[in-house]
Amino acid sequence: MSSAYDFPGGIHPPQRKQRSNQAALIEAPLPKRVVLPLQQHSGQPATPCVVLGDVVKVGSVVAKREGMISSDLHATISGTVGEISATHITIEGDGQDEWQRLPHLDWQSAAHEALLTRLSESGIVGLGGAGFPSHIKARVVERHAIHTLVINAAECEPYITADDLTLRHYPAEVLEGAQIIAKLCGAPHIIIGIEDNKPEAIEALQRELQHDQTNSQPVPVELTVIATRYPSGGERQLIKKLLDLDVPSGGLPADVGVLCHNPGTLLAILQAVRDGQPLISRIVTLTGDAIAQPGNRWVRLGTSVKELLEQAGLNPSGLHQVIQGGPMMGSPLLSLDTPVTKLTNCLIAATIDELPAPPAESPCIRCGECESVCPVALLPQQLHWYARAQDDAKLARYHLFDCIECGACSYVCPSHIPLVVDYRDAKSRIRLQRIEAAKAEYAKHRFEFRQARLAREEAEKQARREARQAQQRRMSTSAAASSDTVDLRGLRIAHAAAKASVKKAEKTLARVAQEDPKQSLDDLEMQLATAQENLRAAELQLAQAREQQSSKESP
Amino acid sequence: MSMMHASQVNGDNSAAIPPTASLMRWVIVATLPGIATMSYFFGLGVISNVLLAATFGVALEATLLHLRKRPIRVTLNDSSALLTGILLGVSLPPASPWWLILVGMVAAIVVAKQLYGGLGHNPFNPAMVGYALLLVSFPTYMTLWAPPQALIPSGFWSQIAGSLPTTQLDSLSGATPLDAFKHKGGALLASEFWATNPLPEGTLSAWRWVGIAWLAGGVLLLAKRIISWHIPVAMLGSVVVLATLFYLSDPSHFASPLFHLLTGATLFGAFFIATDPVSAASSRQGKLIYGAGIGALVIIIRTFGGYPDAVAFAVLLMNLCVPLLDIYSVPRPTGQRKAQPVKQGEQP
Repeated sequence: MSSAYDFPGGIHPPQRKQRSNQAALIEAPLPKRVVLPLQQHSGQPATPCVVLGDVVKVGSVVAKREGMISSDLHATISGTVGEISATHITIEGDGQDEWQRLPHLDWQSAAHEALLTRLSESGIVGLGGAGFPSHIKARVVERHAIHTLVINAAECEPYITADDLTLRHYPAEVLEGAQIIAKLCGAPHIIIGIEDNKPEAIEALQRELQHDQTNSQPVPVELTVIATRYPSGGERQLIKKLLDLDVPSGGLPADVGVLCHNPGTLLAILQAVRDGQPLISRIVTLTGDAIAQPGNRWVRLGTSVKELLEQAGLNPSGLHQVIQGGPMMGSPLLSLDTPVTKLTNCLIAATIDELPAPPAESPCIRCGECESVCPVALLPQQLHWYARAQDDAKLARYHLFDCIECGACSYVCPSHIPLVVDYRDAKSRIRLQRIEAAKAEYAKHRFEFRQARLAREEAEKQARREARQAQQRRMSTSAAASSDTVDLRGLRIAHAAAKASVKKAEKTLARVAQEDPKQSLDDLEMQLATAQENLRAAELQLAQAREQQSSKESP
Repeated sequence: MSMMHASQVNGDNSAAIPPTASLMRWVIVATLPGIATMSYFFGLGVISNVLLAATFGVALEATLLHLRKRPIRVTLNDSSALLTGILLGVSLPPASPWWLILVGMVAAIVVAKQLYGGLGHNPFNPAMVGYALLLVSFPTYMTLWAPPQALIPSGFWSQIAGSLPTTQLDSLSGATPLDAFKHKGGALLASEFWATNPLPEGTLSAWRWVGIAWLAGGVLLLAKRIISWHIPVAMLGSVVVLATLFYLSDPSHFASPLFHLLTGATLFGAFFIATDPVSAASSRQGKLIYGAGIGALVIIIRTFGGYPDAVAFAVLLMNLCVPLLDIYSVPRPTGQRKAQPVKQGEQP
């Protein structure tokens, strides 16, 4: 049940979870209109595939994924498309709540490819915060053997109770969703990691697991309760705690044979497969002292935050700030006129007393408190000096990019230095520099893409011409076949090489996108597109050559 | 982002770290048992030292902040100059003349602290810089440690005013236990030395009580999580281990570990001087090495060096090693194969 291993550091901030985990999970009222941002996931924004005035049902696709790391977007209410801008689609509801579902899929008998397609067309992304497309994550098995699927139910941030409530209400569904992912990635073992401050969720899971022993799950599930300590829900921290495995720096859990999923995501996966229901709603924790009825709600994506908080009894005079996410890693909302997205797990309407503005910063006295709480065993203080001095060489040597931005250091700093803000700034500055430095490289890739596209178009034209000629030849029965011999073998090799380079580009892209979700992926997507164009051209040429060959052999 | 700050969330977490200003204030509170005990044994001269040094400290800090065009009120509010004054004040012989204290505080606040950039930027412990400067510049005054005496000794005021004729100074001086033992000479065995009652009545026990009072203050700091255990434990541990080694090798000429622990500035230094976070190593491993180094230097200088006590020099010498310790005591970050020391001038 409990775990013998541990990660360094960590803190015990006040939990404040009771505020939102007492009330039952209910459905938020159906919104009259929804605003769906095109980017609700990591990677490229989706591309709208509806036009103004289109009538949509709940579950209709309104935007298609663009490039590899991207996700489809669905209408979350039925009605008409009211506005399409560069960043979002607005749907005016008709109040009918008419649904359009995909057919039921029996995951136990369905092929892997069918399941992956279902995840992709249902717009499933990681609901824990990163928003990484689940079908890409599931394809990790093509490169790594996965020995354990970890269900990350630690939910270590204060205030948030969305996973807690998910598990209390849907333990069987979450476990079944986990079985689907276990099947997809071939994991022979599932571990649920959960903090001991969620006794009711633990009990629900235990009951379900005992009940399940009779009808035996395909993959065995183990429940591990861990002590409550922030940030045990960090992917690396949880893997260390549960399995004593170190995810290498700059690597992914898959590198040590582990895949992590959040309970909410697993529930969404099951709903997509079993019920054919795309990702159109999610559980959101509404909490904070400035609302009268805190609790968890099923919220349609695109619902206005303001509307949602007002329905929960927002007291505008007491409101100091609304934080999206947890108080440690979340960010304050600049405006309440923003929609709930796939990534909104928690909204804290805080009064000034509960989350006051930080006091003025004073000089670092080198007390080392930050170091003792860092869950990655970094030296936050040294990073602080070098981040302020913009000494990027030193920042790299002190492993800035290993920082998970959990905020434990900022939390304990007696001088109130906003350490994580410094690190984030330094990281984005360095990312920008990398883009600048690789500009020539990018231009080259753009050029290559253009060449590849032209070559593919040429190949298509050629193929059409050949087809026409073949047609004519057959009609005139003049057996004047082309005299030059076809290098079929060479074309086959070229085709295989093009295929391999598409695979390689996909692999690089999937990896980079997961390693650093804030990295710009444009260039890698471009390289992938180039490889795909090349593959298409090679395919055409190969097909054409085969055609010629067969026509020559059988005149 | 961290909207939560440990010092702001009250009630449900007792382990919260107080802000810098209140860290400093806690250290000041923790010096009170030591100051009280010292005053009880050595008279009001201890209090006059502390008051003068603290006043000079705050005044000099304010002046320097004004010259450096830095916010004065906010900065003074962190109480660090006050603390430096108190720490130097208790280190000086009771009822030291005002000018001596002023010279020491100028060295501490102006040179060692503000000229390096103020709080957080000083490589050396300011109080110990002041003390070491005075010790080498004014040895006559710095070794005038009067034996335990009345609360207000004769000549108290003229002593502070610095108007006492030099000829009378000698009559005030008494040896500290460390001083006496150092000068016992090789001919005398330790047991014979103690049999001669080399110290004025009550001196040894007075020093022991003072040591215990500092220990009490230190325990308070540990309990309040103002300081971490690493430096004091490492320092006291290395003092005990090294002293025991010497003592076991020749008990007749080397002082016992208990003697080293309880007399002189060992306990005061371990909890109040070596733990100054600004000038100490920052990683846990670094702190252990730093503390152990101070302890070792204390015993070595006391035993073989020219000075009876050595905490100030030991701390300053180890301050010099801190940048090196900080570079080589980098912990292994999770997911990195091994800790990589950051070498100077090396390009990543």
